[in-house]
Amino acid sequence: MTSLIGQKFVRGDGLEKVTGQARYTADLAFTGLLHAKFLYAERARARIVDIDITAARAMRGVHAVVTQADAPMVRYGMFVKDRTLFAHEVVRFEGEIVAAVAAETPEQAEAACAAIRVVYEDLDPILDVEEALKSSSPLVHPDWKSYQTQNGVERGPNDCGHMTSVKGDVEAGFAEADHILTETYQSDMAHAVPIEPHAVVAQWQGDKVTIWSTSQVPFPARAGVAETLQIPQSNVRLVVPHLGGGFGGKCDFHFEAHVALLARQARRPVRLVFTRREEFVATDKVRHASKIELTTGVKADGTITARRARILLNSGAYCGDALFTTEIGLMMVAGPYRVPNLHAEVHTVYTNRTPAGSVRAPGGPETCWAVEQHTDELARRVGLDPLEFRRRNLVQAGDTGQTGQRFISSSAKECLERAAEIAGWPGKDFAPGEALGIAVGWWFSLPASSGAYVKLNADGTGTIVTGAQENGSGSVMGLATLAAEELGMRPDQFSIVYQDTESGPFDLGSAGSQTTFNNGRAVIEAAGEVRTKLLRKAAEMLEAAEEDLELVDGAARVRGVPSKALPIASVAAASQTSSLLIGSGSGNPPSLPEHDLSGCGGRLGYSAFLAPSFFCHIARVRVDEETGTVSVPEVTAVHEFGRILNPLGAQGQVEGGVIQSIGMAVLEGSQYDGGRQLNPGLLGYKLITAADAPRVNVELLEDPVDHGGPHGAKAVGEPPVVGTAAAIGNAVAAAAGTRVRALPMTAERVWTALHEQEGELA
Amino acid sequence: MKYPLNVRVNGVETSVDVEPHRSLLNVLREDIGLTGPKEGCDDSECGACMVLVDGRPVNSCSYLALQTDGREITTIEGVSEPSCPHSIQQALLEEGGVQCGFCTPGIVMSAKALLDANPSCDEDEVRLALGGNLCRCTGYQKIVRAVLRAAEQLQDRAGTTG
Repeated sequence: MTSLIGQKFVRGDGLEKVTGQARYTADLAFTGLLHAKFLYAERARARIVDIDITAARAMRGVHAVVTQADAPMVRYGMFVKDRTLFAHEVVRFEGEIVAAVAAETPEQAEAACAAIRVVYEDLDPILDVEEALKSSSPLVHPDWKSYQTQNGVERGPNDCGHMTSVKGDVEAGFAEADHILTETYQSDMAHAVPIEPHAVVAQWQGDKVTIWSTSQVPFPARAGVAETLQIPQSNVRLVVPHLGGGFGGKCDFHFEAHVALLARQARRPVRLVFTRREEFVATDKVRHASKIELTTGVKADGTITARRARILLNSGAYCGDALFTTEIGLMMVAGPYRVPNLHAEVHTVYTNRTPAGSVRAPGGPETCWAVEQHTDELARRVGLDPLEFRRRNLVQAGDTGQTGQRFISSSAKECLERAAEIAGWPGKDFAPGEALGIAVGWWFSLPASSGAYVKLNADGTGTIVTGAQENGSGSVMGLATLAAEELGMRPDQFSIVYQDTESGPFDLGSAGSQTTFNNGRAVIEAAGEVRTKLLRKAAEMLEAAEEDLELVDGAARVRGVPSKALPIASVAAASQTSSLLIGSGSGNPPSLPEHDLSGCGGRLGYSAFLAPSFFCHIARVRVDEETGTVSVPEVTAVHEFGRILNPLGAQGQVEGGVIQSIGMAVLEGSQYDGGRQLNPGLLGYKLITAADAPRVNVELLEDPVDHGGPHGAKAVGEPPVVGTAAAIGNAVAAAAGTRVRALPMTAERVWTALHEQEGELA
Repeated sequence: MKYPLNVRVNGVETSVDVEPHRSLLNVLREDIGLTGPKEGCDDSECGACMVLVDGRPVNSCSYLALQTDGREITTIEGVSEPSCPHSIQQALLEEGGVQCGFCTPGIVMSAKALLDANPSCDEDEVRLALGGNLCRCTGYQKIVRAVLRAAEQLQDRAGTTG
């Protein structure tokens, strides 16, 4: 039988999506539904002197008005318990929620929010990360020492998590170098921007609440509701209807408890739907603005001898899940290069800005961009072509990584050579202002527990019941292929019950590119149990030995005797009078490769990269010297993902990631006036459109690993977004003859760099 | 104060009373029960709310419902019977042009308006026609390919029947 792995298949949720029948959270209808609106601080830092909700509560159509006074006084947070549901005594960023209203129409709710009288005493906001780290700085959280944290989190004043990564002897390494180069790169805050805004509906029955939410992480969201409302987790059911994208912006626990509180007070179902402005200002889940300082020593032949790095992440008002970014960003500073001596530190800095967290490949694109700009500058310093410089320094099998993990294999060079070949490196026949730029990188696969059930139905179909969450990538839809492969069936014979905390077993959500990697293993295990039971029952019915049977084309048959066969439907139907064909699996997360953390400090959640994957991106850019505008006519992206389970899906992830990364490279960044975002909308914060998007040459390489996901697969969702901005940056530098040291490389920044250069020449 | 609105929606004569400030999107979703068109920005920036008014694509979030009085409206729900998807929908499925699906209804409507008006469109024309529809998942590659494939199929069909 031909394997289903690597075959093209049509996703199971596709038809309802293309016909407009798919229901998303904001599409659900409820009898007696009320509409929620939040009142935000609209100022960066202030003390609350008084909140008066009397007038709002008396308004027509208003059924509930809640503030922190109506919520349990619980501080929550994934790494640091530093926030309350509503502002308590102070506000720390413009999107801090001060109060919430539920009314019969959205207009009435908005009017009631406007009628809430809040008296503030404004304070000078803390905005700059370097200033915030000085001992003289006022504190975003004066009580920070009293906050509870996860084990291992090391903090300081205005620093909710700092870490150090040390390898070898960095001073000795610098002593061996012929050249030492120090540079600083900065990136602006960027946003996840799923096209579906956040939405939540809550409805109580007795002491139980059902919440429909646009969450990427139903189980952690349920835990957040239970913790903040101080009710048992079993009283909270969290259901995610179709999810309209997330990109990390819908990870972590968000607004479910606010809406549940409103619904409890109103005794009616309540729905919250965010506006696009709220998506930018209030979703406390943005890609960190960063400042990355790198000092690297190289020998005359291009060999890297040592690196010192310091990363400052502007984490905004609260920690949230930001330490994922901190930990991963720290693991990206060496890149996929042999850096024998390293000293790197990272700080997650509190300021009075929108809180940052894990957006698709947290810590990835910005760190890769800085490291790869730096790499090209090192190559230039020693007079090597950027491709050749990388060739000499990339990790190979047998090398040790940043924390001493030994690479059992490395496709880094293969990706590099293949991308160079496809893109025609170093390029020729350039129009004026055109050039190629290259970037390489690596990423990890995240091991985690994750559960699934599989059952066979009497009509010969199967059902997968999983805790996993489908964010749109198709990873949950692809589980059908894995089950079908085990059972000799077709993927379209499986229905999938997913993203409902009452049905599926635990899964940590669509985060960390982990769905296929972990839940895939769980589904295979569950299907394996069904397979065993199916074979046993079929053997009994066929009067054959189990070991002589095979499962092919929806039938159990005796190997070599196709006539002696039973449809799986018959076996499943017969099993309803005996032992049912059901199975469960929780995968078995592989452990991290051996590594060495001596000398390192802080919580290092990603202390080694499991089943690391590699990539190389090459971008062709055109820089308009008159306006500074950068266009990107072509991108080549070569990725190695272990084993490609679903080629169409994997290509889709790469294409989408590349285009998102082009946006980060040239368009996407929040501008600020003090503590207020200046461009919280899609007119001021532009995404790449179909008309701007280049063709993307995608090539997927395979290097299956036995300590990885199903059939040797590795994580796919996040790596594609990491490298393109870096390749574009290097192409811009090559085309413009000058380097832009801030992301995004907007027309204004490129123009300024070009003209500063002219000034220097004059 | 509400005013009567008489429109033909997906071929069905429909009468509702609406306040003058309400958008076509809002009335389609809340009063007429068609949740296929999505609200992504309420500002004509994302295209998720795209519908056809007398065959022309409009962002229904920024179009007053009463402006459509007496006109013909097509939403994603009116493009095909789910048992028999339109060529654009079928191509999106097979080419992998749908991921989270939130932008998809708007994409289908923009593509349909293009193919209805210009069945022999080329890639640049497809990209331009979809320029008002943001998609964060796919990077547009497979969507563009799907629309071109649908155009080819529709032309082939027109060729064989005509």
